[in-house]
Amino acid sequence: MENRTKYLFLTGFCLAQVMAFAPQVFAAEKAERDDRPLIEPDVTPVPVDEALIDTENFEIGAFVGIMNIEDFESSLVYGGKLTYHLSESFFFEAGIGFAEGGQTSFENLAGNVQVLTDSERDYRYYNINLGYNVLPGQAFLTENYAFNTNFYLIAGAGSTDFAGDTRFTLNAGAGYQILLTDSLAIHLGVRQHFYRIDVVGAEKTSMNTEISSGLSVFF
Amino acid sequence: MMIRTDTRTMTIAILILTLCLPVTAWAGWLWGEDEPDPMVQVVEPFVVWRTGPAVGYPVFHSSEKGEWLTLLQRKTGWMKVRDGKSREGWVAVAAIAQTRDATGEFVDLNVPNLEAFRERNVEAGIMMGEFEGAPVTSGYGGYWFTPNLAAELWGSQVLGSASEILMVNANIVHQPFPHWRVSPFFTLGVGHIWVDPKTTLAQPEERENSIGHAGLGLRVYITDRYFIRAEFKDYKVFTSRSTNEEATEWKIGLSIFF
Repeated sequence: MENRTKYLFLTGFCLAQVMAFAPQVFAAEKAERDDRPLIEPDVTPVPVDEALIDTENFEIGAFVGIMNIEDFESSLVYGGKLTYHLSESFFFEAGIGFAEGGQTSFENLAGNVQVLTDSERDYRYYNINLGYNVLPGQAFLTENYAFNTNFYLIAGAGSTDFAGDTRFTLNAGAGYQILLTDSLAIHLGVRQHFYRIDVVGAEKTSMNTEISSGLSVFF
Repeated sequence: MMIRTDTRTMTIAILILTLCLPVTAWAGWLWGEDEPDPMVQVVEPFVVWRTGPAVGYPVFHSSEKGEWLTLLQRKTGWMKVRDGKSREGWVAVAAIAQTRDATGEFVDLNVPNLEAFRERNVEAGIMMGEFEGAPVTSGYGGYWFTPNLAAELWGSQVLGSASEILMVNANIVHQPFPHWRVSPFFTLGVGHIWVDPKTTLAQPEERENSIGHAGLGLRVYITDRYFIRAEFKDYKVFTSRSTNEEATEWKIGLSIFF
């Protein structure tokens, strides 16, 4: 009986003790468990700021090539291009180019005849085009280098300042772009320019082929 | 003569542009790139890497959940990334938008969509069409004061068989339904026109006039940050003679917005 009473008392006492101490014990345990790393990092996490990411959708470049001006021989052509890439496929391109018309065969045969004055032979054009990257790909140089490439189709309109007048000009062509790095590219292109001209006889559509190569930088 | 000064100013503008260009390239080198490149952590099961910034390029690698990627540069809808082993490749921006940054939040990337189109502040575009039967090429830029009202500045060149026309216009635009994907609008504005007849004509006589115009058109949002714009305008050319001239024009083109 005595044992039983003792047992009840003791267990009751122990339980009370446990009840009384338990929260403190757990609390102490909580305080002891430190989630912080041993070495506190000195930086606070910074969210990604989109403005700090370099966005390279613009491309500016220069080109040089040969332009065949109908009736006026072939000429060196050079110029510049500004491109805005709308998406991976589409891009806007604005270009200007300079060339010089030569002698017509009539002038060569007849001798002392001038169809155009010297300043009228200056050939200038600008155009605004829409391009489409049809065949993205890779080109491999030896076993060590791989370059991203694009074959694109391009067409647009603009004007040509030649033979004393400014003429509405359509152009269409294709190009091959080789990206040496992500910011530097080589372009090889063929472009056909069409406009109406009436300088040598009846009005006709003049077709001028331009073959050029260029270098461009993304920014 | 006017054309020549035009090309000259254009050449100068392009020269200045090319001169300024390398400065932006130097800037980082000059001031030191103190800012560490931003990093993101993959939370989706994986993201695929391509060799170039287009879906046409082959997938050559993928990053698993938990990997950290450094964001290097962006081209259209693609982000160039570097992983912990210094590998580099291109990941779609849409996939980067699914990653978390150091704060544990989803990366706050601007992915242009219809919502962005509705809230655009600036737009610019190039349009082509016909002005009194002659081909016209135009460029414009516009600023939105409210979702309904914008101001625009235009430059146009009309190259007809008899003359070359240059036009500069300013107009206000009102769109009654800014939330529509296909959104009609009305324009009202003034401008100036320079007419330069062809040299082959008997009596070339340059002239310039003030013009007023009213028009209506349509914007159609396509995808990303571009939309198609088409419009019809009626021009009144204020001449010094007893009657004013009238001209009609339609144009269609592609625009981008920011």
